[in-house]
Amino acid sequence: MANTESLENVVLELRRGVIVLAALSQLGTAEYGYSLLKKLADLGLDVDQGTLYPLLRRLEAQGLLESVWKLEEARPRRYYVISTEGKKLLPKMKKEWAGIVSVMDKMLA
Amino acid sequence: MNLIDRYVAEVGKHLLLVKGRKDIENELRSTLEDMLEERAKSAGTPADEALQLEMLKEYGAPYSVAETYNPNPYLIGPRIFPFFIFILKIVLAAVALGLAIATVVQVISAPPMNAMELLSILGKGLLNIISAWIGAFGNLALIFALIERYAPASEFKVDDKKEWDPASLTKDPEPTEIKLWEPILAIVMTFIALSIFNFNPQLVGIYYLDKSEWHVLPLLSEAFFRWLPLMNIAWVAEIILNGMLLRTGKWTTSTRLFSIATKLFQVFIIAMLISGPSILAFTPESLKTGGITDPEAIQALSQLAHTGLKIALGLGIFGAVVEIIKSVYKMVTQK
Repeated sequence: MANTESLENVVLELRRGVIVLAALSQLGTAEYGYSLLKKLADLGLDVDQGTLYPLLRRLEAQGLLESVWKLEEARPRRYYVISTEGKKLLPKMKKEWAGIVSVMDKMLA
Repeated sequence: MNLIDRYVAEVGKHLLLVKGRKDIENELRSTLEDMLEERAKSAGTPADEALQLEMLKEYGAPYSVAETYNPNPYLIGPRIFPFFIFILKIVLAAVALGLAIATVVQVISAPPMNAMELLSILGKGLLNIISAWIGAFGNLALIFALIERYAPASEFKVDDKKEWDPASLTKDPEPTEIKLWEPILAIVMTFIALSIFNFNPQLVGIYYLDKSEWHVLPLLSEAFFRWLPLMNIAWVAEIILNGMLLRTGKWTTSTRLFSIATKLFQVFIIAMLISGPSILAFTPESLKTGGITDPEAIQALSQLAHTGLKIALGLGIFGAVVEIIKSVYKMVTQK
């Protein structure tokens, strides 16, 4: 029981670490919160909604995302898209990620 | 109002202090409606109340959802908490010191008393200290909670990770550095003033001995106490300024600006004290009560006191203006 819980916590932490990179990489085209959540899930990354939505707001506050409200199907939706600042940062984050993967691969081999 | 609206409103209740609350609520509503629509579509059922209940249960308790949107759930966060504790210790010590002095003065100036009366005065003094501590703690917590919400993070960076450079020991002190005792003395003196004028204003007076009993002739009039709330603001500002100086150990642009604003405010208050009705409580009657019966002496004393006070207040303004000019000059030259 304790082991399962510990594993869940570690997996959660690992995922949390990559959500910023995952979200920025998928927001080249505008998405609203729920559509991004589904997109990430379809690609195999299940993200807790309680983590993703506040994260999108924080990334916008940091200037890495831009957002706009659009009225669709009689419902307003907030669309997020990567900003110029975010576009500048993304390649650096990708490089950093590749470095981490390479190091961890070596460690875990 | 449907269930989703009620749920969103519940979440909103936990976000009262969070910036962009309405925006968060709108986004949450939009997301929940999307989720509900999709669930209804995939289950082939209408988006009825049962489905809404099931979805909201999964989404989580409103306070848990609100928690994820609150990046700073602290009343006083880790960024300024050490500073809060630091100032709190000084404030509590100053309050205790001020009220202890007031109690001692009360004991000395009281007529001879038995042990029970002495214990009663000391007990009251202790209760005053405890109640003033609670008040000071509440006020300080409120001030720091406001700083936590509104002060820019850059002003209160926790610099634990800052690398310590041993070479700094060999440097001569910078001209902007301050001596540690100066702000501590200023904080203690300000707190003594705060506690005397607010809690024991009767102590401010002229003491005289009549038939082996001490009497106090009140020194300050109602006109003075009308300005006390503004003076309290100026004193609290002075305490915050000196607290900042203690923390940084030197003058910075923001502390200089803060100091200039505080001094300007003090100039305003002193100017109001000079131009308004006299803040001295001396009247021919009160002087007579004090044992001075000669009309000429009363006239001369009264004149002397009022002129003397105006000169003292004028010097106060002069001192504050000199400080402002010095601050501006140092800010310009040391930038």
